[in-house]
Amino acid sequence: MLAVDAIRDCLEGAVPSIVATCAPDGTPNVSYVSQVHYVDGAHVALTYQFFSKTRENVLANPRATLFVADPATVARYRLEVEYVRTETEGALFESMKAKLAGIASHTGMSGVFRLLGSDLYRVRGIEAVPCARLPAPPPRRSLLASLRAASQRLNACTDLAGLLDESLDCLARVFGVDHAMVLMFDATARRLYTVASRGYASSGVGSEIPLGHGVIGVAARELAPIRISHATSEYGYGRAIRAAAAEAGMADRLETEIPFPGLPASRSQLAVPIVACGQLVGALYVESTEDRRFGYDDEDALVALAAQLGTGIHVLQATEGQDEAPAGASRRLPVTGAPVVVRHYAENDSVFLGEDYLIKGVAGAIFWKLARDYVNDQRVEFTNRELRLDPSIRLPDVSDNLEARLVLLQRRLDERAAPLRIEKTGRGRFRLCVGRPLKLVEVAPA
Amino acid sequence: MSGPPDSTPLDAANAAFIGCGVMVSVASRDANLAPSVVRALGCRVAPDRRRVTVLLAGSQSAALLRDLRDTRAIAVVFSQPSTHRTIQLKGSDALVGAPEPGDAALIEANCAALVRDMVPAGYPESFVRTLLAFEPHDLVAVTFAPSAAFAQTPGPHAGKRL
Repeated sequence: MLAVDAIRDCLEGAVPSIVATCAPDGTPNVSYVSQVHYVDGAHVALTYQFFSKTRENVLANPRATLFVADPATVARYRLEVEYVRTETEGALFESMKAKLAGIASHTGMSGVFRLLGSDLYRVRGIEAVPCARLPAPPPRRSLLASLRAASQRLNACTDLAGLLDESLDCLARVFGVDHAMVLMFDATARRLYTVASRGYASSGVGSEIPLGHGVIGVAARELAPIRISHATSEYGYGRAIRAAAAEAGMADRLETEIPFPGLPASRSQLAVPIVACGQLVGALYVESTEDRRFGYDDEDALVALAAQLGTGIHVLQATEGQDEAPAGASRRLPVTGAPVVVRHYAENDSVFLGEDYLIKGVAGAIFWKLARDYVNDQRVEFTNRELRLDPSIRLPDVSDNLEARLVLLQRRLDERAAPLRIEKTGRGRFRLCVGRPLKLVEVAPA
Repeated sequence: MSGPPDSTPLDAANAAFIGCGVMVSVASRDANLAPSVVRALGCRVAPDRRRVTVLLAGSQSAALLRDLRDTRAIAVVFSQPSTHRTIQLKGSDALVGAPEPGDAALIEANCAALVRDMVPAGYPESFVRTLLAFEPHDLVAVTFAPSAAFAQTPGPHAGKRL
């Protein structure tokens, strides 16, 4: 039989599908469905939004027939299916909920379409309906060829910062995706923080998304890609961030201090979790001002790319722990000018340079240690290993993402054109370069 | 043998609605209660509204036509894409027959109305015209007396009997 994979374009929700069912008394029923969702080669799922006759029928008689059409070629297919079960949470449910929000918004049905459950069906057979068709549009590019090229480039990376930048460069140059970002997962705070981005007016490095909020937070929580093909306020980042900020406290107010870099009028969004060795590492997020920019095949390609990115992050973070000989003799810049006041709030490890917020959390604690060692002991050369052993930094025992936090700190300093910066000097080693005298102010918790 | 019913659940407004500018889909089922379905091309309502005829492409509808002949059970859904206004009619006396002379023109009119309805929503005209394309010799007319009508516009009143 035709696999469901072969007709996935019919399942994007661009053309309403039709479902026929039959009551136990023999009365047929026919209805439009806003979404027939691709699950795998042998399963689809339908949105359960209202208690309908369709649902009543399949609970009593599980056999149903779907009629779907390809939005480009108008090729039509009949799917003979059988109801299996309803899911009301988890990856399938969240993926359908997000997609439905996009469909609802696009068709003026926001507030009417609301997902109560995902009705899972086994596909017993697919029949191509003999009918007139339009020629298929030429593909934008070969996604497999793109994936191969990107895969080779990622494999050649030797440090984390390079790997992150190479991933975004591949998305832009190889896949033609101009707006993208990589976020890392902080398992202790249950948040994702941006470490690299491309295609935005400001990088947003250091901005945070709580797990479960918006497209990115849901994808990370469910370990499942979330894709939306139309503009929708329900998953817009303004909303996710306002909701997070509403839960307030000083620590949370700082979350909005670095604005999330997302597009103000995104029309297509795709968030893919980055997983390594079965653990959530972060998320890859792409978006576009075009409707339906990302299809099922794009989703597959980005899931494969994110898997490789996850492995790369994992390997490179592990090897950064191994000290190498320093690249050269310790080198200090001339320190001139008025002192910079560095304030550290112990409550949340937030750091301010003068009046400017720099960073908080683990990256803030790292910065504070470096600044103290510089002022007290005139040290400028550091290793990842000593940071791991320093109790004041309180790194989590496993998957500490230390290297990612150093990348974050390094980029925040560079972007703020701060009078001090971090320079890598070898694997697992770096140097603090200070251009002005530092005046440290510790602010104890209130 | 059942003749036309004494009354029809189809009021004048709904009869006018299903006659033009709607997507039409038809379902039946076999003896084992397995459903069959096809997208149809248009619909004709008798002046007394007691008989509705749906027009479809026979070559796309093999299982459905077999089920209609065997069981005569029919369900038809009509929907206007731009407004989502949707109604479903059911019947138990469907008869498969030949189209009438004006039926091809009726489908053309339905197609033109759908083009006006759907192109502003972003569907290419070629998409709508291909969806409703047919060969005249392939046209089949299925006539039934609606025994029940249901509102099916998405929302809280979906499923309400009309």
